[in-house]
Amino acid sequence: MKFLQHELDYRLATQGQLTRREALRRMGAGIGSIGLASMFGNAEASATVSPLGPKQPHFPAKAKRIIQLFMPGGPSQVDTFDYKPMIAKHAGERPDCVNRKSLRNTKMGLMPSPFGFQQYGKCGKWVSDIFPKTAQCVDDICFIHSMHTDIPEHAGGILMTNVGALQPNRPSLGSWLVYGLGAETENLPGFVSMSPRAQPRGKLANWGNAFLPGAYAGAYVNIHDMTPDAVIRDLKNTSLSRQEQRKQADLLAQLNQMHLKRLEKDQDLEASIHAMEMAFRMQFSVPEVFDVQKESQATRDLYGDSEFGKGCLIARRLVEEGVRVVQLSHSIDGYDIAWDTGHNDIAGGHARLAKACDQAIAGLLQDLKGRGLLEDTLVLWGGEFGRAPTSEGAKGRDHDHYGYTVWMAGGGVKPGFSYGATDEFGLSAVEDRVHVHDLHATVLHLMGLDHEKLTYRYSGRDYRLTDVHGHVVKDILA
Amino acid sequence: MPLRCVILLLAKSAIILGPVWGATESEDTFFESKVRPLLAKRCYQCHSKKAVDDGKLKGGLRVDSLAGLLKGGDSGASIVPGAPDESLLVKAIGYLDEDMAMPPKGKLPASEIAILKEWIRSGAHWPGTDKSVLTALTESEEPYDWEKFRREHWSFQPVRKPDLPEVKDHSWATSDLDRFVLARLEEQALSPNPRASRWQLIRRAYLDVIGLPPSQEEVQSFRRDESPDAFAKIVDSLLDSEHYGERWARHWMDVARYSDGLGGFLDSKPLPNAWRYRDWVVAALNEDMPYDAFVTRQISGDLLDGAPDPLATGFFVVGPTYISDGGDPEAKAQAEAETLSDRVDTFSRAFLGLTVACARCHDHKFDPVTIEDYYALAGIFRNSRLGEHPVDRDEKVEAYHRAHKEFGDHRNRINEWLKEQGQRLKQSPNRVHMHLDEAGKVTLAEMRAEEKRMKESLPPKYEFAHVLSESGSNNMHVALRGDLRKKGQLVPRRFLQVLSDEELRAYRNDGSGRRELAQSVTDPSNPLTARVIVNRVWQWHFGKALVRTPSNFGVLGEKPTHPKLLDWLAADFMEHGWSLKRLHRQILLSSTWQMSSAFDENNFSKDGDNRLLWRMNPRKLEAEAWRDTVLEVTGELDRTVGGKPENEILESTRRTLYATVSRSGDRRRSDEFLRLFDFPAPQSTSAERSVSTVPQQYLFMMNSSFMKARSAALGHWLISQSATVEERIGNAYERLYSRPAEPGEVALGKRWIGAHADSHQTWTLYAQVLLSAHELFQIQ
Repeated sequence: MKFLQHELDYRLATQGQLTRREALRRMGAGIGSIGLASMFGNAEASATVSPLGPKQPHFPAKAKRIIQLFMPGGPSQVDTFDYKPMIAKHAGERPDCVNRKSLRNTKMGLMPSPFGFQQYGKCGKWVSDIFPKTAQCVDDICFIHSMHTDIPEHAGGILMTNVGALQPNRPSLGSWLVYGLGAETENLPGFVSMSPRAQPRGKLANWGNAFLPGAYAGAYVNIHDMTPDAVIRDLKNTSLSRQEQRKQADLLAQLNQMHLKRLEKDQDLEASIHAMEMAFRMQFSVPEVFDVQKESQATRDLYGDSEFGKGCLIARRLVEEGVRVVQLSHSIDGYDIAWDTGHNDIAGGHARLAKACDQAIAGLLQDLKGRGLLEDTLVLWGGEFGRAPTSEGAKGRDHDHYGYTVWMAGGGVKPGFSYGATDEFGLSAVEDRVHVHDLHATVLHLMGLDHEKLTYRYSGRDYRLTDVHGHVVKDILA
Repeated sequence: MPLRCVILLLAKSAIILGPVWGATESEDTFFESKVRPLLAKRCYQCHSKKAVDDGKLKGGLRVDSLAGLLKGGDSGASIVPGAPDESLLVKAIGYLDEDMAMPPKGKLPASEIAILKEWIRSGAHWPGTDKSVLTALTESEEPYDWEKFRREHWSFQPVRKPDLPEVKDHSWATSDLDRFVLARLEEQALSPNPRASRWQLIRRAYLDVIGLPPSQEEVQSFRRDESPDAFAKIVDSLLDSEHYGERWARHWMDVARYSDGLGGFLDSKPLPNAWRYRDWVVAALNEDMPYDAFVTRQISGDLLDGAPDPLATGFFVVGPTYISDGGDPEAKAQAEAETLSDRVDTFSRAFLGLTVACARCHDHKFDPVTIEDYYALAGIFRNSRLGEHPVDRDEKVEAYHRAHKEFGDHRNRINEWLKEQGQRLKQSPNRVHMHLDEAGKVTLAEMRAEEKRMKESLPPKYEFAHVLSESGSNNMHVALRGDLRKKGQLVPRRFLQVLSDEELRAYRNDGSGRRELAQSVTDPSNPLTARVIVNRVWQWHFGKALVRTPSNFGVLGEKPTHPKLLDWLAADFMEHGWSLKRLHRQILLSSTWQMSSAFDENNFSKDGDNRLLWRMNPRKLEAEAWRDTVLEVTGELDRTVGGKPENEILESTRRTLYATVSRSGDRRRSDEFLRLFDFPAPQSTSAERSVSTVPQQYLFMMNSSFMKARSAALGHWLISQSATVEERIGNAYERLYSRPAEPGEVALGKRWIGAHADSHQTWTLYAQVLLSAHELFQIQ
């Protein structure tokens, strides 16, 4: 029974006794033709190329996959990773260089960080006391302190960060990546976006495909509710056993095959047969990969007991299975721009936000490293802008798009390195400035893609993630 | 190399280096020792001849010649010799404006900024260059060679009806249209496929024209009809069906980026009455409104003399209208600019097949569209606003307004009375009630009771449609680099220069200009309008268009595969009153449309993409036609035409056309279903649907409650119709696929059903497989 052989190989593969590639080779089929070849034992069955089959990058690259830890709302740089002791010396003052209008103004003068800073690691990086665990990983991290973006409001800033434009009608970074690289999984979508409870502001646009073909859209999963149907719509058949479903799927495959024989050749139909088989497998592989209970207690402890921790652990499980892009957005209390709590209260708001993700981030970096995955997995942390070193009200900080910090780790970036700088008080990027377009160009470069060549022809124009902008920040490449 | 660049380079190389005009040696030395090295080190990477050659030129600006600096980039002249404070260059290097902060990697040291300021202040001397000659040269430059474009780019040439080509196989080419197709095939030694089988033809015709499959009876009667015009009768009856308008309105709604609002963040305004525009399109198509009128009304229906048709202007209103988030000036300007861009983009791509919105920040890089053209059109939409148009009975509208007026009047009377009493009692009006005598209290109580009664009986709002209306007659400034806060020259509202033969004629100043815009678009001498629509109609009949970029007839668009056929169709279309139904009939009755979609090794190896039309393209049904077909074959479809949309289409049995569509694509379960099956994002006009095949589509077919319900209905029907397993299977094939089952299919079905012929569950599962089969969502 060929179907049984296929099922067996598949099970071996998922249990790790056989790699997926080996399983495919044993079945005499290349990636993309598993359905046909396994069902009909015909090695010559024309390979139907799934739009998500793996593709060659433009040039060899260190990073094979990316996990974006997105911090919507605007984390404050001077209270996290951009240490500015000069603020305390000039508290309440308003030196010329901080006298710039952002969303509102800076007229309340400089406000020192309510948090202490310590030096960590061999690189001696100063990190705020609210990120003590992440701080332990600074020797694996590459900080960019000279980020700047176009506007100081959330919607535009978030879209700029995730789609490279101020309006929601462009493909997301993740969808460009799977368009350029495909995925290395036959059982899962190539791009998964997750968050607990609240979707980040802008929702679909952050993982949408806009005008790219539908196969490149991110699949959104709300990790608060892990029932299969919430993970992917219609994932579970509620009334049939796997055996009964297989019987039905076999009949459909046979009918489609008879139809194909009549037509001689039909690419759509071949793709249909392939998609149907993958759908069948997804029903069983997806709940498995999202089930963190499959991990040891020690591993689960490493990530900590938080929703963000669960997200980070799932992210690792997903990239391990060959998912190309994972986007995990931070959120607590169901707030879609979590870090915006900084307006009223940096001390309380930011401490709580950091506590909710610090251990998870450190756990993810350590776990990836321990499994040898960090060298070819890129981790990107950051929000859509930062917060001004001046005070808003008495205890908060307003948006700052002139200067902020993001960091990356793993996949081809210099570890234990800091790039660029803001002015002495941390408001504006002044040295080695990096615009979001430059960050995007760099991320694509790290993944083996030339941001000027990764184009898609739509309505008569070749579109790019970076539009007409973007320079690769070469100095941070390992 | 794009023509535009060629012209620029020619203009630059034509600059004659004149004699040195009174320069002192120290000026030369200062420039060569301080200024030029500084420019080279800090700016040349992005702003020099080399940057042009490397494709790295930014902002259209070169600073490696005085000509470059004087001409400037997208934002205008970079320097004003003698006036550093008025020079953009000084503004940029001073980091005074975030958008223009240069160099982008970091601010220059103060000493270098001082050098450049001093150089400009002292007159910007550039050795070997004469400023006055340069200034004259840079001002007289024309952006495009207009005549060359009009003469040489295919789509700007006038439409002329070509002669019919000679062909060999006259038995295949039964219509004029066929001769154009056959002539191209014969040139390339390809042979067209024969006619499709009768069952394929009738199924294809039904799905193509009304988006629903034929019933078993309709298939049977067509198969029995031996008359030569049997198929023509089918075509006529389908074009007369009110479902034709539903099917073809949906095609147009892709172009019109139709949604019921609900764009979510930054575009959150709901459009609860957008469906009235949808119903307008359905009705216009069903009555075969001439296409020029169809266009005119959508642009300016509210302005028609005699019988205005404002609902048609919903075309523009159903698009996104962006708002700003924080309300800072930049975000507000951005929101308005983006909204105007939607209007210009949708207008120009939908009707003209031109991507005018590309000229929002600078002249179009490839097509002859200037930034002035863009703001000439944007100005028209800036003088038009979103409005409400009552569509209820006059009495109801009047009653509403009357009741509200009476209510307002009554309130005014109370306030007046309180004021009088206040003056009398020397109290403020809001304290009067505490100081009234008994009689006064009674009077006030009576008036308040009347007010309450009136408020409770106010009639509900009458029905209305979202429409465009006039809001002014002002020209608009060019927005430098697309930023409305940075004003360039004022541009009169007018049509595109490349499509205006004579001198540019500004539109009259007595309205927005939409009335004249519609005339410019539908003028028979406009080379684009008719070509664009016949090409779209061709695409919706064949799956692929003659110009495979249906919304881009510009330089970057594709050229027509059959230029003569396109022109013949366009000319014939205009000659015959722009009738769409006539065009459909012409196409449907051609041998070209009636060809089989069968695979042919020889043809396929030469023309796998079927550009020469050797076969009918096999294609998949769109989300709407597929879902409608499923409901039709299970006998559950509600064929009611028109009306308010269904919020959750999967819970409804109405046609998919009636699903509420949210622009964000994630407001409703409906949206998720539609997107899964390649429904286009209605954020901008869509010329062609992508066709994707993803596993999630099969998860829907295997596991969704929608499919389970349809399968149960079909299973039940199969059992109820006949007693034997063979007959049930035969019935299923005829009903679902409009053809008899093959013996192999019957045998397979029988084996699968096995001993469970009486089981509802088994027939339901069998029905689900047949409904999920590729054949159901394929047009052969």
